[in-house]
Amino acid sequence: MGGYSIGIITLLLINCIAALGVSLFTGFTGIFTLGHAGYMAIGAYTAAILTVEHGVGFVPAIIAGGILAMVCAYLIGLPTLKLVGDYYTIASLGLGEAIRLIIENWQSLTRGARGYPGIDNYTTLPVALTFFVVMAVGMFFLVNSRFGRAFKACRDDYVAASLLGFNTARYRVFSLAISGFYCGVAGALLAGFMSFIQPIMFDMAKSTELVSVVVFGGLGSMSGCLIGTTILTLITEMFRPISQYRMLIYGLVLVIIMVVRPEGIMGTHELTFSYIKSLFCRKKKVAEQGGAQ
Amino acid sequence: MDIDIIQQIINGLSLGSVYALIAVGYSLVYSILLFSNFAHGGFLVVGGYICYYFLMMHGASVWTASAAALVGAGLSAVLVERLAYKPIRERTPITLYLLIASMGMSIVIENIFVVTIGGRFRALPDVLPMQPVNVFGIATTSAFDILSLVVAIVCLVALQLFLTKTKWGLAIRAASYNLKTAGLMGVNVNRLISIVFFVAGVLAAVGGIFLSARYTLYPQLGSTITTKAFVAAVIGGLGSLPGAVIGSLILGLAEMLTAGLISSQFRDLVVFGLLIITLVIRPTGLFGKSVSEKV
Amino acid sequence: MSTVLELKDVTKSFGGVTAVKDMSFKIEQGELAGLIGPNGAGKTTIFNLVTGVYDVTKGQIELNGKNINKLKTYQVVALGVARTFQNLRLFTASTVLENVMTAAQRYHSYSFLEAITHLGRWHGSEKATRKESMELLERVGLASRANQAAGTLPYGLQRRVEIARALSLRPQLLLLDEPAAGMNPEEVEELNGLITGIHNDFKLTILLIEHHMDMVMAICPHIVCMSFGAKIAEGEPDYIQNHPEVLKAYLGDEEDE
Repeated sequence: MGGYSIGIITLLLINCIAALGVSLFTGFTGIFTLGHAGYMAIGAYTAAILTVEHGVGFVPAIIAGGILAMVCAYLIGLPTLKLVGDYYTIASLGLGEAIRLIIENWQSLTRGARGYPGIDNYTTLPVALTFFVVMAVGMFFLVNSRFGRAFKACRDDYVAASLLGFNTARYRVFSLAISGFYCGVAGALLAGFMSFIQPIMFDMAKSTELVSVVVFGGLGSMSGCLIGTTILTLITEMFRPISQYRMLIYGLVLVIIMVVRPEGIMGTHELTFSYIKSLFCRKKKVAEQGGAQ
Repeated sequence: MDIDIIQQIINGLSLGSVYALIAVGYSLVYSILLFSNFAHGGFLVVGGYICYYFLMMHGASVWTASAAALVGAGLSAVLVERLAYKPIRERTPITLYLLIASMGMSIVIENIFVVTIGGRFRALPDVLPMQPVNVFGIATTSAFDILSLVVAIVCLVALQLFLTKTKWGLAIRAASYNLKTAGLMGVNVNRLISIVFFVAGVLAAVGGIFLSARYTLYPQLGSTITTKAFVAAVIGGLGSLPGAVIGSLILGLAEMLTAGLISSQFRDLVVFGLLIITLVIRPTGLFGKSVSEKV
Repeated sequence: MSTVLELKDVTKSFGGVTAVKDMSFKIEQGELAGLIGPNGAGKTTIFNLVTGVYDVTKGQIELNGKNINKLKTYQVVALGVARTFQNLRLFTASTVLENVMTAAQRYHSYSFLEAITHLGRWHGSEKATRKESMELLERVGLASRANQAAGTLPYGLQRRVEIARALSLRPQLLLLDEPAAGMNPEEVEELNGLITGIHNDFKLTILLIEHHMDMVMAICPHIVCMSFGAKIAEGEPDYIQNHPEVLKAYLGDEEDE
């Protein structure tokens, strides 16, 4: 397999990890965020600084990146997650940008807007794949547990959820913290993949991208967000030669999906054998009905 | 030092008044449709580019170019609404889908310009007065700042008259309380929404012309300013027009005073700092309506 | 007999509007009580006050003698109060079974670590939750619909899912907000049977808001009647039916006719 293909797959796996995190928060807990690139940035810079300046091994550095992002997400979430609807989205936008600006201005630590070069290329395909598999399995298991049901309850009707005994505020913060961890790890892996990171890589456009793939794949479907990430990553890579059209097409895809199929590719369904079977059965049933008439 | 502060205050008010034009248009849409139109900045950029085009290509007077920009931006706003938002809002009441579609439209508009005209910075020809002016012998500011302040005031007053003295203005105010009920009272909802977007587009274009004259014009100007307009609208209270104006002035002042007294690096941080403080202390802002749910 | 729920001069104002004024009543353990009154009387507000959705402006609310004014909703639920809604609040996109499991799971817990690894208590707890939920669905006659999306059920059946869900919280006090709304006489009869059935089988204390007078008079030995936020009568069905204030509240003054 050529180096280019390996690179794309590695990048895809990194994007998928971040998408899983955002999917938990936006798709399963129902809170729309426009600032998760900030957590990727925290993870990326933590891993970069630890590996380059303190000789920390890359695995502990990546995990440290994830943990620091998670802690920041938790601290941010505590005061802000009581905001309802649009207000939280705007807060997340502001916070994501604030994180980026802090990184840009804290030049002594992060080398500022020029970027942080010279990061060891530790994110090989096996590394990315291992992190992806472990974290994806964990996430699928999580949503298929009492926590998953709790998050969904908070999403579908937070009043009813509280009347079923759920401390909705705590679950939302919890969901945010986990999604922060996933984005932090993804950011740390990205640092080891690009060997160079800049604050501008984690701006609002990146946050928008994160949330778009989740919407595209289907809010409430983990397999959907993976499918969505795959399709969008491959499309944007295909258009890299004519990269000026890349963003235009990506924007159009977003609009068209919302107009034509807002529930995304998978809706709230997961890609299981029974789901695929039900697709075929439905077609067969419709055909039978059509024939009978 | 005193002279500096007064100068910064005037600068801040001038910048704030231009933000007000953007924020008011954005709040107007929010008050009717209850969603944040992230593509709002796009109308600003459309206005700027149309103005630039007419000034450069046709050597038109600043009046003609501006008029064309306003109309063009207004129409583009209506177009965006009809193409992207109308089909969605007719299908579903969920505003999240409109939000995401607006993000998509923002990217589309920005990149149409990147792809066709190119992303480099363009300076508007010097048709707007820039010379220093002495204000009451206390401070010196530029004629540009005074002009933008005056124009913004004129536009906002015109908007206020429109909303209070005309039939459609009344309809818009009714719709901001409850769109469905306004429709049941006989208002043509689709036409109302188109008018609202047209007005929002026009206001954005005025702001866009002044901002591109102040900063230079480039495709991403829209999203940068939109973010500031949101912050202003949130500080003032989402959905409140007077709130949007006051929030914008506060923001403009905060930016200029920070840049003047501390450093311009912290400018943007102060903007987001204000946003976060507002959201944590009083999310509905100064005048916003708090929406509570019937259990 | 101990008092499960007591309201002492409870007042609730929203700005200038007083929704509930000096409400006082007691519900003893094991009672099946009814709360009636014309629309807008403040009945649902009482439920919201008890469950902590609204804060009390004045007065106390006591659950088993303990003041619960300041408690948050999930804390009140943890003390044994469950509630259904006038306008139904099911998780419509989830299945009927999932709706009930979401409530039942609180009694079959396991840790986060066990959740993400599917090890330890996960399997046993999930199985127990599922089993308990299916049993409750059978009790309300909906076991066959377990895997159907809750939002696709007919209205009457959706109400039963809500009741099953509330029951799975193993409450001591069950608040039913207009469970018979929109039902025809046969459905109301069935619901009567269901409510009295669960009242006996689960040894519940039930407080019921209803507009179907035949239902309330038939199954509730203790009735509280409200109008414009205040209590206007309290007692047995016969007493309430003939009380002049109650008649006035529902039918208007004789002079109006």
